[in-house]
Amino acid sequence: MQSPGTYISGIGHIGLIGWLILGWGFDSEPLVFDDISVSVISGEEFDQMRAATTPEPGNAAPDAPVQPVINEDPPPAPAEQDPPEQAPPPEPVEPPDVEAPPPPAPPPPPDTEVTDAAPQEPAQPAAPPPTPDVEVSDTPTPPQADRIASTPSAPPPPDAQVDEVVRQEVVPDQSAEAEVVEEEQEATAPEEAATEIGIADLAPTTSARPVSRPNRPTPPAPATEPEPETETAAAEPEPAPQTSEDDVADALAAALAAEASSAAPAVAAGPPMTGAERDSFRIAVNSCWNVDPGSVAARVTVEVGFSLDRSGVVQGDVQLISSDGDQSAVNTAFEAARRAILRCQRGGYQLPADKYDKWKDVVITFDPSGMRLR
Amino acid sequence: MMKRILAFLVVLVLAAPAIAQNGPLRLTITDGVIEPITFAVPSFEAESLQAQQVASDLSRLVVQDLAGTGLFREVPATAFISQVSSFAQPIAYPDWRAINAQALITGAVTVSGNQLIVKFRLYDVFSGQELGEGLQFAGTVAGWRRMGHKVADAVYSRITGEGGYFDSRVVFVSESGPKDNRLKRLAIMDYDGANVQFLTDSSSIVLAPRFSPNGDRVLYTSFESGFPRINVLNVANVGRQQLQTAPGEMAFSPRFSRDGRSVIYSLSNGGNTDIYRTDLSTGQHVRLTSAPSIETAPSLSPDGTQIVFESDRSGTQQLYIMSANGGEARRISFGEGRYGTPVWSPRGDLVAFTKQNAGRFHIGVMRTDGSEERLLTSSFLDEGPTWSPNGRVIMFSRETQGAGGTSSMYSVDISGRNLKPLPIQGGASDPSWGPLQP
Repeated sequence: MQSPGTYISGIGHIGLIGWLILGWGFDSEPLVFDDISVSVISGEEFDQMRAATTPEPGNAAPDAPVQPVINEDPPPAPAEQDPPEQAPPPEPVEPPDVEAPPPPAPPPPPDTEVTDAAPQEPAQPAAPPPTPDVEVSDTPTPPQADRIASTPSAPPPPDAQVDEVVRQEVVPDQSAEAEVVEEEQEATAPEEAATEIGIADLAPTTSARPVSRPNRPTPPAPATEPEPETETAAAEPEPAPQTSEDDVADALAAALAAEASSAAPAVAAGPPMTGAERDSFRIAVNSCWNVDPGSVAARVTVEVGFSLDRSGVVQGDVQLISSDGDQSAVNTAFEAARRAILRCQRGGYQLPADKYDKWKDVVITFDPSGMRLR
Repeated sequence: MMKRILAFLVVLVLAAPAIAQNGPLRLTITDGVIEPITFAVPSFEAESLQAQQVASDLSRLVVQDLAGTGLFREVPATAFISQVSSFAQPIAYPDWRAINAQALITGAVTVSGNQLIVKFRLYDVFSGQELGEGLQFAGTVAGWRRMGHKVADAVYSRITGEGGYFDSRVVFVSESGPKDNRLKRLAIMDYDGANVQFLTDSSSIVLAPRFSPNGDRVLYTSFESGFPRINVLNVANVGRQQLQTAPGEMAFSPRFSRDGRSVIYSLSNGGNTDIYRTDLSTGQHVRLTSAPSIETAPSLSPDGTQIVFESDRSGTQQLYIMSANGGEARRISFGEGRYGTPVWSPRGDLVAFTKQNAGRFHIGVMRTDGSEERLLTSSFLDEGPTWSPNGRVIMFSRETQGAGGTSSMYSVDISGRNLKPLPIQGGASDPSWGPLQP
């Protein structure tokens, strides 16, 4: 026998699915495409544009030079240079022909779009990144920092803690007699960072292994976690710098809180029991339901009902609601079911306190058909 | 407008599960656990000085009976939190719950002269109530074991919903001597191997004893005359009566009818073996089968309307069922190997049998239509199953391999669990489980 809610749910699902299929009432609006004009220019024109916009290598003084790696070997010929490392691996592109070298200008980055608009490099930051002195090495090795930042940082001092903010070491002034004593604090410095991702950064340091399956979330213990504590805990976090995402989250939280407060009188109905919560309850009773497969009671299905208090403890008697089979076997099956319910409750079944109205009355069907001797 | 309708439907769909959960939370459980029910038996209270030893022995016997089924497990006395010093003392259920005793049995014993009175109560610890009412048995001091079996039967029946089998006896063939010169005689014992008594001497070979439905008589096959003959033995006075057969006929494999008034058995004459029924009061014979093959080992259904037997009419030894009055038989065994010695369960739903396949012998059960065959044992030689009075346990004989091999009796639960030998001195075979004693 299905409950009315099941019928309503079914009708609603069918209607929604049908509506989505047929698409009644949906206005289809044409997608807007941006037109981008593309034209072909010659190599000389491109070189001229590059010469006009790209700073000359070696002329720009780096703001915070990263410790360069000195290449002891003599620099190779420019014609034999590899493409810049930030370029994706060239697919079928042939390497530059050594015998017929192109003009000495470096080859354009492959991902740079060529337009007839302003010749800018969209992948580059607004400020051109400082490059190491090419006179030291024409094939600079990217710094092998673990951190990538728009502004490179020097390696922190060995005795400094890594932090986002640079702080000077504060040592308590033994001679000062001020009432407010500054807290002792270690020197901090930002973690070493580079502007490029080196090959070594991309290579995995360990073999990829499947991530272990996360533990099943432990159901909350409602009896030991009163709601005011949760609210207090929510209010306690330290204020963090506001971002646009935080603003959205705050707005969403406020909206949900407003909805919750407006729906407070209806909390009695409560959210439905989730499948996991029902399974958890069922498994708890399972473990105490002792079935003797060879007995006649193993051929009997009984339906029992009982009530629980808010701590999950059975209140009153466990009642036999319905059964099949002869009376003796039914009595035995019912007693086994009652023992299972009462034994496994211990200090109370672990059920969500906020859904008490959903589990305060329980009806369990004990069906041993799958455990009979075959 | 369409957006409103869409919003309404979405809300309706999302709210439906909540609406569906109105009313009690409903769950269905299909998987439980299979484990013994824990019980505690504080030593029964001795209400008189002479009763102390009996009270202790009797309570231990109750424990042995229940734990021996494999369906119960004792909580040892060392785990008890509270003691039951008086039969009338209220039960401290929390103390027994704390040690996970699901059932509690308390009792008291009184000895007055030669009279022994035992009373007991059974409690369902977790529901905090008594299971049934207290019971009291009276008997003789010498019969204290039967009193203990009675208590255990009552407890077993109240918890499992089935009849017990502890206060029952088994008739069997006691064996002694080497394999090539084995002496056999009929013996009777309690179901647990205690109180063995011999019913015949070992002057002639005896085979296949079978209890009557009320346990007052035993049928068996004797080679006293050189040919197999069927004897009826009165258990009380060991008086014997032979079933009349014509000269040259061999009668064997007898069983009582359900009313105990007639006997069904195999009769071999001129190389052909068929099944007959003989009325014990009139001596009238009725032939039930007339095939040229060997038909033997008949066993009646509990309602007495059908007979299961073995026959090689198909070329191999298989099981068949026919009407108790004879007629067309239908084959029920179709597995590999040979099937024999079928015995209909007291419950009526199963047939136990001996199966020989691939050089091994098995005791098995199948439904009466031949389905759901399950083999419960396997050994060099297992044969001759017999049912406990409640149809829950099967006893059989097992013989070990080699010239020095011996026969012994085993029991096994119909689930295939709790296989164990019976503690009997000497060899034993061909058990027949009698009914519960009055």
